[in-house]
Amino acid sequence: MSTAAVSHGGGIADHIHPEPQGFIRRYVFSIDHKIIGIQYLITGFVFLVLAGLLAEVIRTQLLHANGGFVSADTYNEVYSVHGSAMVWLVIIPLITGGFGNVIMPLQIGARDVAFPWLNMLSFWIFPVAGLMLFSSFLMGAPVAGWTEYPPMSLQAGAGTSMWAAAIFLVGVSSTLTGINFVVTMFQMRAPGMTFTRMPLFCWAQLATAPLLMIATTALAAALAALFMERQFGVPFYDPTKGGSPIMWQHMFWFYSHPAVYIMILPAFGMISEIIPTFARKPIFGYKMIAFSSMAIALAGFMVWAHHMFTSGLAPYLQLPFMILTFTIAIPTGVKIFSWVATLWGGKIHFTTSMMFAVGFLALFTLGGITGIFLAAVPFDLHVHGTYFVVAHFHYVLVGGSLMGIFAGMYFYFPKMSGRLMSEKIGKWHFWLFFIGFNGTFLPQHWLGMLGMPRRVPTYDPQFTFWNQFSSISSYVMTFAILLFFINILVSLRNGKKAGPNPWGARTLEWQIPSPPHYYNFKHIPTVYGLPYDFSQPLPYKGLEEELTDTPVAVGAH
Amino acid sequence: MAVATLPHSGAHEEVDQLYKETRDLRLQGFLLFLISDCVLFSSFIFAYFYMRNSGQGWPPPGIHRLDVAFAAVNSVILFGSGATMHYALENWKHGNFNRYAMFMIATIVLGLGFLGGQAYEYTNLIVKEHVTWAGSGIFGASFFTLTGMHGFHVSVGVIYLFILLLQSVHGVYTKEKYFGLTAGTLYWHFVDVIWVALFSIFYLV
Ligand code: HEM
Ligand SMILES: [Cu+2]
Repeated sequence: MSTAAVSHGGGIADHIHPEPQGFIRRYVFSIDHKIIGIQYLITGFVFLVLAGLLAEVIRTQLLHANGGFVSADTYNEVYSVHGSAMVWLVIIPLITGGFGNVIMPLQIGARDVAFPWLNMLSFWIFPVAGLMLFSSFLMGAPVAGWTEYPPMSLQAGAGTSMWAAAIFLVGVSSTLTGINFVVTMFQMRAPGMTFTRMPLFCWAQLATAPLLMIATTALAAALAALFMERQFGVPFYDPTKGGSPIMWQHMFWFYSHPAVYIMILPAFGMISEIIPTFARKPIFGYKMIAFSSMAIALAGFMVWAHHMFTSGLAPYLQLPFMILTFTIAIPTGVKIFSWVATLWGGKIHFTTSMMFAVGFLALFTLGGITGIFLAAVPFDLHVHGTYFVVAHFHYVLVGGSLMGIFAGMYFYFPKMSGRLMSEKIGKWHFWLFFIGFNGTFLPQHWLGMLGMPRRVPTYDPQFTFWNQFSSISSYVMTFAILLFFINILVSLRNGKKAGPNPWGARTLEWQIPSPPHYYNFKHIPTVYGLPYDFSQPLPYKGLEEELTDTPVAVGAH
Repeated sequence: MAVATLPHSGAHEEVDQLYKETRDLRLQGFLLFLISDCVLFSSFIFAYFYMRNSGQGWPPPGIHRLDVAFAAVNSVILFGSGATMHYALENWKHGNFNRYAMFMIATIVLGLGFLGGQAYEYTNLIVKEHVTWAGSGIFGASFFTLTGMHGFHVSVGVIYLFILLLQSVHGVYTKEKYFGLTAGTLYWHFVDVIWVALFSIFYLV
């Protein structure tokens, strides 16, 4: 923002391009960030259904100690594609490309992202890559889990190469999105919106974007090497030819640990918007929340080997990685305390969105605590590769990221569609999901501590009861997600009209109509302060005409 | 069509900043792209050191050390092209179109020269020493992958510079607006810097 100075009251001169006409230009190959964001959301939810069905195959197999629902080979394929799809085709696209695109440019008072055409390209790579990943079932899907450790991933059928190519492509898409978002937030903030006035969701995206750009590229290298080794026999990972399977683990986790923050930081951001809005209180510790996002992103690059404590990591490396991992809990704790302090003494409105936000607080905290357990080498040696790890990451990813996505959907759906989602179905969705989720994954903690290994199609009969408990709960959870989709469809048709600002929220996107016009703002507003102070008048000028019928002057060079 | 103009309108620069892809925007985007490209190389360099240190000495038994002298000459050619590229941009900024074109052509020729040298070196390795990409263990894998990636970048660069030259002949750029040339220069210097790293790790240490 070098030269765009704050002007008084009127905003600065700008021009608005006319809206493209025709269905294809408007909704298919759109360059409008709001449409692209919604495209990401729809595609991501379609993949959520597919990957969710795979999860139910897993849980159905585990209803009985000796399995029997699918063959052992199919089981390997199913959990591998389930995990890969959930990470790369569901959570990451939903939470970065989806919500990031819809909300971030509105929150900073911009008309679009910095490179709209690039944005369209990022999006269209994603469904193609998704189809490639699922098509790997036709040629023998990957079998070594979402982590695809060699040597198994070198020996498996052709689908593993397809997997590598698909993930590489999603990576390209993520990298481009990261670049686009950073430049947008650096260059296109409305006058007066300094970094320290930027909404916390944008801060979260700002912390995530470098991870998208840098970590993802490291994964791209690892994937390219895997692909070359599988297709052309170039030795990287095969120890008989001098390669090293451990090297894959380093490169994979150097990406995938930051990737877990890609999946959680934007959810943190949405929670930071939702909690003050429904507690009707300024967010506690704005700066601490913003800086802790950055700290987490930075520290996230220095802890990857905590996934490798049993891989023969040198003992003198175990200790530093253990301590560094422990320290990540500090910025994370700062956030949790800030949110709780925001709730404290607030006038809490328990909308569905808020219930998901509070549910997030509880479940994410539990998952974070088991994370600290796992970071302790002596403990991890016992539970690595068991269901305890599965329980840990489902608490942070489902209880955290996915709950955050649900909270965000109930919160932002009115902005995207102009209609409110049904609170009645929403409450059912929340409670069934919350109960189903805990029923599914809580028992996996003790199953893991008792020694039940992950990624095995059968188990010791002594574990039968809790596995059946888990499977049946997972059906409840799936039903709850079905309710969520029903809610979306019903509300799109019959939902109550939302109006511009149904929640009384204070960030910029709520000061304009729902859904916003193609050009977002008639006039780019000027920002005078933080958005979270509920006792003060709104800190914006130049928004007077946004909700009136004054026509906007459309022009182009 | 009217342009919405409000009180206190600023200079045209300000206007563009809000919506159009301006030079600042593109420059920043391009730099970020180069950073992530750099991470791609760094990851393979990490892999190279990892494999190198896990084996029995370097180069592995049965493989000769690489020919430093030849590669050094080839490097000088590449670095020379970095210098000519720099002067090409400087001359453009000062409006000396002819000298700009001369330096651009020199850069392209030197770039092609470097590629030729690399092709010669590859042929030598493959034919005379039987060191190949897939058949010579981690040495062939890391050497051909990294230098091949770099060579690919140089080839893309040569094509890009050629397109830039055509564009500037056709008047796409002006003395004030020449972002494409800036990007081309940055990219070319980036390729140089990567080569410094590759030369050091394969030929010197
Ligand atoms: C307080 C913060 C956290 C700590 C200390 C932590 C620590 C750990 C450790 C040590 C492991 C390795 C366990 C093993 O394989 O033996 C692990 C696994 C994992 N964590 Fe976390 N974690 C934290 C937060 C998160 C978050 C926020 C996410 C994602 C949103 C996440 C996702 C995962 C995943 C996906 C795995 C399993 C990878 C696999 O083996 O398939 N963790 N965590
Ligand atoms: Cu980790």
